[in-house]
Amino acid sequence: MAAVAASGGSRLGRLRYVTERRGFLATLLISPAVLFIAALVGVPLVLAIYLSFTDATAGSLSGRWVGLGNFRADLHNPIFRGALWHTFLFTVISQAVVIVCAGLLAHALVRSFRGRWLLRFLILLPWAAPIALTAIGFLWFYDPSSSIFNWFLVHLHIVSAHGVPNWLGTPRAAMSSIITVQAWRTIPFATVIFLAGISSIPQEVDDAAAMDGATGFKKFWYVSLPLQLPIAIVAVLFGIIFTATDIVVPYILTNGGPFNSTQVLTTWAFQTGINAGNLGEGASIALFMLPLLAFVTVGMLVFARRAEVT
Amino acid sequence: MSGERRISRRELLKKAGAGAAAVGAAGAGAPFAFAGPHKYTGRWLSGNLSAITWVHFVPSYDAWLDPWAKQWGEANDVQVNIEHINNTLLDTRAAAEVSAQQGHDLFFNLHPMAIYEDQVIDHKPIVQEVARTQGAYMPIAQASTYNRKTKKYFAVSDSYVPDPVVWRYDLWTGVGAEPNTWENVLKAAPKLKKIGHPIGIGQSQELDSNMALYAFLMCFGSFLQDEHNRPSLDTKNTVRAVNFMAQMYRVGEDPAIFAWNPASNNQYLYSGTASLILNAISATRTPEQLHLPFSDSLYIWPIPAGPHGRLGLEHLMGCWNIWKFSQNKENAMKFLVDLLKAGKQATIQSQLYNFPTFAKTFPFEQIRQLAAKDPNKPHGKYTVLTTIAERYTHNIGFPGTMNPAMDEVFSTFLIPQMFAQVSQGKMSAAQSVASIKSQVNAIYKKWEARGAV
Amino acid sequence: MSLQWRHRLFSYGVVVPFAIVLAFPFVWMAVTSLKPQNEVFDPAHTWSFHPTLASWGFLFHHTAYVQWLENSCFVGVTVVIITLAIAMPAGYALARLAGRVGRSLGVAIFLTYLVPPTLLFLPLSRVVAQYLHLSDRLWALIVVYPSFTIPFAVWLLMGFFKSIPQELEDAALIDGCSRFGALVRIVFPISMPGILTVVIFTFSLVINEFLYAITFISSSTNRTLTVGVPTDLIRGDLFNWPGIMAAILIPSIPLALVYNAFLNRFIAGFTGGAFR
Repeated sequence: MAAVAASGGSRLGRLRYVTERRGFLATLLISPAVLFIAALVGVPLVLAIYLSFTDATAGSLSGRWVGLGNFRADLHNPIFRGALWHTFLFTVISQAVVIVCAGLLAHALVRSFRGRWLLRFLILLPWAAPIALTAIGFLWFYDPSSSIFNWFLVHLHIVSAHGVPNWLGTPRAAMSSIITVQAWRTIPFATVIFLAGISSIPQEVDDAAAMDGATGFKKFWYVSLPLQLPIAIVAVLFGIIFTATDIVVPYILTNGGPFNSTQVLTTWAFQTGINAGNLGEGASIALFMLPLLAFVTVGMLVFARRAEVT
Repeated sequence: MSGERRISRRELLKKAGAGAAAVGAAGAGAPFAFAGPHKYTGRWLSGNLSAITWVHFVPSYDAWLDPWAKQWGEANDVQVNIEHINNTLLDTRAAAEVSAQQGHDLFFNLHPMAIYEDQVIDHKPIVQEVARTQGAYMPIAQASTYNRKTKKYFAVSDSYVPDPVVWRYDLWTGVGAEPNTWENVLKAAPKLKKIGHPIGIGQSQELDSNMALYAFLMCFGSFLQDEHNRPSLDTKNTVRAVNFMAQMYRVGEDPAIFAWNPASNNQYLYSGTASLILNAISATRTPEQLHLPFSDSLYIWPIPAGPHGRLGLEHLMGCWNIWKFSQNKENAMKFLVDLLKAGKQATIQSQLYNFPTFAKTFPFEQIRQLAAKDPNKPHGKYTVLTTIAERYTHNIGFPGTMNPAMDEVFSTFLIPQMFAQVSQGKMSAAQSVASIKSQVNAIYKKWEARGAV
Repeated sequence: MSLQWRHRLFSYGVVVPFAIVLAFPFVWMAVTSLKPQNEVFDPAHTWSFHPTLASWGFLFHHTAYVQWLENSCFVGVTVVIITLAIAMPAGYALARLAGRVGRSLGVAIFLTYLVPPTLLFLPLSRVVAQYLHLSDRLWALIVVYPSFTIPFAVWLLMGFFKSIPQELEDAALIDGCSRFGALVRIVFPISMPGILTVVIFTFSLVINEFLYAITFISSSTNRTLTVGVPTDLIRGDLFNWPGIMAAILIPSIPLALVYNAFLNRFIAGFTGGAFR
């Protein structure tokens, strides 16, 4: 191919020859993306890493080198240890709920039936709405005096008027509230991805399975699931990453309360670094998860590739 | 201008609709889009000044401030731009502006930002200039905005807000009590809860809870720092206070208080449920505005007295500072001086929410006379504000002064945490106090090492 | 017949409850948005129906809501365009041209998501203010947002391009097309579903963004939706709940309709996706 193009001989032909070279073209096409990310993510990240090794404050922006001092102080702080645990709980439980629900929903939505369009619209709403605003809306849904959920609970006689759950005020309830909201808004997104996975199963596989007598759950377990695994893993991965690095839901609903029982790494980093002005420590908290998440990411992506059934 | 842009106008029109495209092009292209109509009415003003402040809880204040600033601008040949954002977002913006070394010339916040001392000018000239005609800078403001160690005014306070207790007279007389002392409150609380109207003092990670519980501690003789700004949490008194509050919660409060945000105690009151909350007078002004049925039964009193006495905090301290990187320091200083001199109007326009920080701007006697004329029932209830301001209002960090360590303790909500974990039975008061005390000490040590305390 | 019945039972039995649970908050938002202000805080009036459009009117006439919507749309659309412009070539290059290095680079690009914006916004504000001089302009957001939309888009498109059979391009090249020409004339049209997927995800990422919008924009006219609502509809002590609910409903419903309409092509976008 290169030879064909190079036979031009003129300067234009020489240029064409160069752009035909795989390596050069590849670099040319990738470089805008790489430059963009390097400038707007890479540089601030390096700065953040630098900050985490100093005692910088929001007021001075540069500080003395303290090495691993911030990280050590973090681990000694009971609030930080709590935040680490809560982040894990928040991420794992909400995403587990999402996977199960989205999986069910996707399978149920594959075949068309009457009213599917409308029902799909309703299911997509939580994802379409801006989360920063719906989180504020949930403050009202969980309001101690006026919660609509409590209204139903009381009027369906499930709990007495004095026994209504304090959705955002007790540690367990608050944790389950933020998990619920996070799951609520992620389910549509995961459903769509799972739907894609199911649709990608070629018809022949379906027919072959039917011919072999595999139906229902058996078919799901032995045929559908393995084929969907790559996509499913990617959906799960996105869910985990977006949840672990997201601040909006915990920040707006509970701000880490009651007494730090729903503090996650992102909110604690924010409170320490910005509200209290302790920038170096805040940076160290925010970066704590990075190695772990990177490990999980690479591991899952490798697994996804291996699991591909061609 | 459209030639420079990669995106053709037609594409935008197709996708975003004509309206968005027109506005978008204007917003992106015109460098002074945010200046709004000022540029096109009246003459071109040569100077510049940008300020950012909160969205005031009492709308009439903002309705006064913005035109006042515009008139000031025209009189001083300065283009003034005031932005209002939600108060919870001010901390974030401050951090971003400092990091960017660019932003508004004048920055307002509801607490003195001690951590930014190195990023702001010394505000002494402003204080001195205003004090010439407006009397002395009040002690509460001095303690909040002056660093004794560096002898620098790292902010100027233009207002503080006394923090009364707001209670339902009709409900309390029903149980035959009044919130004069915390003992009385404790006795009355179970009776009030029984009739479905508990009291409400927050124990959440938010501003109102912070303020209420700090003041509560002071009433019991427990102070976070001494007059030398050294941590001085007294174990015995603190444990007593924490246990007292936990008991009050158990017998007379609703578990909702652990989930509150700054608006919650207000909403608790507006729903007709709460019989007592600790809040500024926005809690009475809104019911008046909405004509809620019980707004005439809302009384305002000073904070109940504890064993150590009757000590309260200011609910908010309005502080302005000028960044070092500002290009318009002269204009900013002049604006602040004039704004402080207009303190009397500020108090009136905020319906007695803002109290002036210079002694002669609006003397307490005159404020009292104005409050006596307030039409809301019961007549004269707002006059107690001057008593509260004069006698029962102290700065955060009393008997010491505001500093970054105090700021961090405050911003990480350690005090509400100390109370809440005992009230919810997670640990004993002794354990809770000990744990928080060690965290506070660690914070102070950290900032002392930086030479900031 | 029985099998079809079983399928239908399964479908309705799963989808309807989920639809109710997922959409109920929006129903309640609609009810709340129509409540008069003095009834909102009274639990006794939870379901009382004295509907009023007062809050909707307030939203449109006394706040800059329309402006915020326009700003969000403008930013969203522009970011989508920029993202596509940068991510499509990159995705193609990584899929076709870069081999093993390409795969690793793809993973590396994805790793940029692991950095929480809670921290990045401070150094970024310096970049935006000092080096780009874009403080308080919508263009600050337009420049910064692609930093988190491009990785996702590259990654998605990379997988998608991989699924397009090499033969199609080879045929074009043999016919005398340049590689670039093949890209434009053959590959891009086929990858419409993939492109649509990127458009929708990018737009949704932009609409949801909160922290950078607060950091870089302060003036009222330049605010996007996520900043404007907390500022003007929450007056410190007082939440304007009916107004907030209306503010949420207005963009959500059209967006959900759009997503729904494109869902089928969208799914095909993933089908092609990174998974072969």
